[in-house]
Amino acid sequence: MRTTSLTTKLLSLAALGVMAGPLQAQEGRQVYEQKCAVCHAAGLAGAPRPGNAADWGPRLRAGKASLYRNAIQGTMRGMPPKGGNPDLPEAAVRAAVDFMTATVAAASKPAARPEVARKPAAQTAPAASTAPVRQAVPPAAAPVAAPAIAAPEAAAVAAPAPVQVASASLALARPEPGSGAAAANAFNRLLRPPGKRNLPPAEDGIHDPAVDGTLQLQPPLAAFGAMPRSNAGNRVDWVKALAEGKIAPRWERDKADAAAVVMDLNIVREVKGSMPDVVYPHKQHTEWLDCSNCHPAIFVPQKGANQMSMAAILLGQGCGACHGRVAFPVSECRLCHSKKKDGVAAGSAAPQAEAHR
Amino acid sequence: MTGRALAGAALLVLAALTPSAACAEYGDVLLNRYSDQGGVRPVVFPHWFHRIRFRCKVCHDQLGFEMRAGANDVRMSDIIEGRFCGMCHNNDIAWGAERCDLCHSGRPGLKSGVYGGHQTTGPGRW
Ligand code: HEC
Ligand code: HEC
Ligand code: HEC
Ligand code: HEC
Ligand code: HEC
Ligand code: HEC
Ligand code: HEC
Repeated sequence: MRTTSLTTKLLSLAALGVMAGPLQAQEGRQVYEQKCAVCHAAGLAGAPRPGNAADWGPRLRAGKASLYRNAIQGTMRGMPPKGGNPDLPEAAVRAAVDFMTATVAAASKPAARPEVARKPAAQTAPAASTAPVRQAVPPAAAPVAAPAIAAPEAAAVAAPAPVQVASASLALARPEPGSGAAAANAFNRLLRPPGKRNLPPAEDGIHDPAVDGTLQLQPPLAAFGAMPRSNAGNRVDWVKALAEGKIAPRWERDKADAAAVVMDLNIVREVKGSMPDVVYPHKQHTEWLDCSNCHPAIFVPQKGANQMSMAAILLGQGCGACHGRVAFPVSECRLCHSKKKDGVAAGSAAPQAEAHR
Repeated sequence: MTGRALAGAALLVLAALTPSAACAEYGDVLLNRYSDQGGVRPVVFPHWFHRIRFRCKVCHDQLGFEMRAGANDVRMSDIIEGRFCGMCHNNDIAWGAERCDLCHSGRPGLKSGVYGGHQTTGPGRW
């Protein structure tokens, strides 16, 4: 009894599988042509081309599951989530992946080795060109360069930093599947490593590197070079940059020389517990902002009239409306908590404000 | 076999920890209320670039941008008629609306909001 029901189940499953095969293949081709071909047909920005064993070999070694996931969630190297079609069912994405890899799957294993070498060879050439289209490189040159190149690439995976070093073309380097564990144990798990700060637009994960405009945008580091640096946010000390005249942001949209209306008034907020008290400086704020940016929508203009707490700030209330979004983030405790309980200023904010009195 | 499964699992964990937008510049705002529907890429507004040139109050007081991601109902027609971004991107103060892909340079499918390692959650609440 049991066995029969099991076998019938198995049989019907098998039948389903057989039926699903061609159906899926058809759907896969359709989805591919409508949603994926724009990039994948020509290998735009390093997108693997359908049926191209050299493009897919190393990726297939990571397993189909990894390909599915990357196709659905997107990758930092240019694959948008679901190819930029949030409404596409996951099954359709998988079908498209299956379609693109169908003819490669079998041949992938032997093709895999020399593949490693092809990429770096291709990388040097298009680095400066604006078109991110990957160049095909004769496979003949490959085996020679292979051992030398494979090592730095593996290193790039262990420490995510080097990814940023060069332009978009380097970003095409893919992690070798085997090194996943090493990447998982990278020194910094949550802290953004130096190589991932102030990335140029094409590598920052929100710009589409396939658009010409992205490549014309200014990379942040080109602008930040001459500015005083800080440890968080844009890693620029905006207060200092302004005070030192490194930047001259306009106070009026169409007048270059209108002077800012600055008010120098410090509000001390006593903090319960051991943290230094908070000094809220009107000066640094009114350099940038108008009274109406804060009063009365965010703060009633009366000392002590506003409930404040770190929990609320982390939820985006009060100081958190700007700090943690555009102004320096919450991690910089001492910039706000700058007044020691005994009355001595601990951080930089308070003395700076006083000096301008 | 297990090795591969393990590596796969490790990658999964990694993927979960490093959402693809985690490397955006601090303060970049993505505007995608209409872009995806309109068949264009979403708009990336870089705060760092503009604050080198303007104080916050120019946009958030004079020009009337709400200081809350997603709170401004910006249509392309507004911009061409000189509202919102169009108050500057008018070939007078800055280059004009015809340079589509300098603004429409975002990844399709990304949600509106502020990107780049911000630490406060959700939309501003005040
Ligand atoms: C805007 C261009 C673009 C579109 C549209 C696009 N892709 Fe991609 N895709 C890329 C790029 C660039 C890469 C290479 C990035 C990388 O190596 O992670 C890539 C890589 C991939 C990979 C390999 C990921 C891996 O783990 O190595 C898969 C699978 C994939 N795409 C599937 C799809 C599917 C399915 C669609 C359509 C639903 C699609 N892509 C649409 C640009 C695109
Ligand atoms: C207060 C005036 C002003 C407003 C409002 C404004 N911009 Fe700009 N923007 C500028 C100026 C000035 C430049 C620099 C122009 C130049 O390089 O010639 C610029 C440059 C840019 C750049 C190019 C940055 C680069 O790397 O070169 C982008 C993208 C941009 N703006 C997007 C926007 C968007 C999107 C909006 C609306 C949400 C907007 N801007 C609103 C003044 C403004
Ligand atoms: C960045 C936000 C911000 C800006 C901009 C701002 N303020 Fe304030 N203001 C505050 C905060 C925070 C307090 C303290 C409220 C509290 O203690 O509850 C305050 C308090 C005040 C007080 C009460 C002082 C007291 O001793 O009771 C006055 C008056 C005031 N602000 C006027 C102004 C004026 C005038 C401007 C424009 C020139 C301005 N503020 C700009 C945030 C701001
Ligand atoms: C409307 C936006 C806004 C709000 C609300 C706001 N700030 Fe600021 N704050 C800024 C900006 C912009 C700067 C300039 C520095 C920067 O952008 O990193 C700044 C700078 C500061 C500085 C100066 C740091 C230095 O290096 O001298 C301190 C201290 C500070 N904020 C504390 C606070 C506190 C405390 C609150 C809440 C009571 C608060 N801010 C609310 C926008 C804001
Ligand atoms: C943008 C300014 C700002 C920054 C940055 C900041 N704080 Fe606060 N903090 C405040 C304000 C404002 C209060 C409320 C003071 C009051 O009660 O009037 C506060 C209160 C506190 C309190 C008292 C308990 C509570 O939640 O009210 C503690 C503890 C505290 N902060 C710790 C920290 C630590 C730790 C950091 C760094 C990780 C930090 N703060 C960064 C502004 C800031
Ligand atoms: C100064 C920056 C800027 C430029 C230049 C620009 N746009 Fe936009 N565009 C926007 C913003 C901001 C939105 C609203 C984004 C959103 O919320 O989805 C938008 C929305 C759109 C939409 C969505 C539908 C609608 O009516 O709002 C379309 C379509 C569009 N733009 C097309 C274009 C085209 C075509 C060009 C070039 C001729 C262009 N844009 C140039 C900033 C710009
Ligand atoms: C050139 C115009 C411009 C300037 C200058 C500017 N902003 Fe913005 N800001 C915007 C735009 C556009 C948005 C997005 C609004 C939307 O999504 O509807 C925004 C959004 C914001 C938000 C909301 C973010 C969120 O997560 O909700 C904050 C906070 C903010 N800006 C603060 C500032 C501060 C502080 C400054 C000065 C250091 C500043 N802005 C300078 C145009 C500007």
